Amino acid sequence: MPGPFAAFKWEALLSDWNVFAEGFGMTIAVSVLALLLALVLGIAFGMMGTEKSRLFRLVNRCYVELIQNTPLVIQIFFLYNGLPYIGIQLPIFWVGMLGIGVYHGAYAAEVVRAGILSVPKGQFEAAMAQGFSYRDTMRHIILPQAKRLAYPPLTNLAVNLIKNTSVMAMIAGGDLMYHADSWASANLYYGPAYVVTGLLYIAICFPLATYAKHLESKLEVSV
Amino acid sequence: MSRVIRLENIHKSFGKLEVLHGIDLEVKEGEKVVIIGPSGSGKSTLIRCINLLEKPEQGAVYVDQVNLLSNTQQLSRVRQSMGMVFQQFNLYPHMTVLENLMLAPMKLKKESGEEAEKTALVYLERVGLQDKAHSYPAQLSGGQQQRVAIARALTMKPKIMLFDEPTSALDPEMIQEVLDVMVALADEGITMVVVTHEMGFARRVADRVVFMADGKIIEENAPEEFFTHPQHERARQFLSKIERAV
Repeated sequence: MPGPFAAFKWEALLSDWNVFAEGFGMTIAVSVLALLLALVLGIAFGMMGTEKSRLFRLVNRCYVELIQNTPLVIQIFFLYNGLPYIGIQLPIFWVGMLGIGVYHGAYAAEVVRAGILSVPKGQFEAAMAQGFSYRDTMRHIILPQAKRLAYPPLTNLAVNLIKNTSVMAMIAGGDLMYHADSWASANLYYGPAYVVTGLLYIAICFPLATYAKHLESKLEVSV
Repeated sequence: MSRVIRLENIHKSFGKLEVLHGIDLEVKEGEKVVIIGPSGSGKSTLIRCINLLEKPEQGAVYVDQVNLLSNTQQLSRVRQSMGMVFQQFNLYPHMTVLENLMLAPMKLKKESGEEAEKTALVYLERVGLQDKAHSYPAQLSGGQQQRVAIARALTMKPKIMLFDEPTSALDPEMIQEVLDVMVALADEGITMVVVTHEMGFARRVADRVVFMADGKIIEENAPEEFFTHPQHERARQFLSKIERAV
């Protein structure tokens, strides 16, 4: 019996490279859009978490706790299997993008909240005393400072987000993991399929993770 | 001369602790008022009530005849006419000195970059730091940072300057350079309210010394009168302690 990594299996994968390329492209597209969504949600809900108003803080807590304390898979299944019951049938791409974006948005919100809270109170006061509105204070003075501290954890978050797009495989999402899995189930050449898939994830995640470490070390120097 | 600041019956609490028990204070245009008193007397809280960094629960704050507590839409405009200098400088650390000075004029007064830079350099020169325009706050000494903070407040061409213990966080050898800038400013006729422990500055600059203790104004007088003939026992105690320290 040929081994799991027999040469002809690699040849088969090579000739079907476009299957993997298609999945890889989908994974990148979902990752980029989901990351944008996560950042927008993270900034909006993160800011709510630092507000004086109890209502805003409650909204922040509900979002963060609900999302962080349930598995991503359940949230994706909810969008995929649950929403059609109330007449909302989203294309699979949207299910992946929304589910993964909303999930990581909750983590981004915590990063943003911690970043804002790390800015000394005197910075708010100096800006308010100069006559800046709350919005301009946030925009020109607080968020730029919070950003410095938030960048390294947000970059790590991006790495997790990319890897987590692989849950789309469970709903036939057309992403890299799904294509690898279905290609391998069809011909049983699991070995090369999963090795190549893993390498493709590394190809995007490793540079990002390295970048995050670089940002962290820069932060240590400047603090 | 008209009254530019009027505080009426100010009460301020933090939680259950009331730190200001009904303060009345008026400041005339061009007047220099120095507020002194033991720590915990409420001086800083009081000066922070003038631009509503602290919001009193009771009483009224008038600046330029505007009741700030009931005209919140005017608060930003009034704050722009009042510069504030803090104990901890509070420069924006992510911006250069020049950017610190240009931000408010550009964003709040919609000055052009060129215009704002010109004004900024004028005020930097006045505090003797034009060569630091492109430095970041962290690269400056405490005294230099505080002088930049004063210049930053002045770029908005305020009518009133509030100083909240501007030299208390400084190393002794840097106090004088900041006081010199403040004395020069006082000589120009701007309205000043200063919370400080620098009695020499109070004597030299103040038109009126306000002595606070336990959340109340105990005594107000001209500096010579106050320092040589304090009327109240509490003020005498305070001054005798300071003299011993000196």
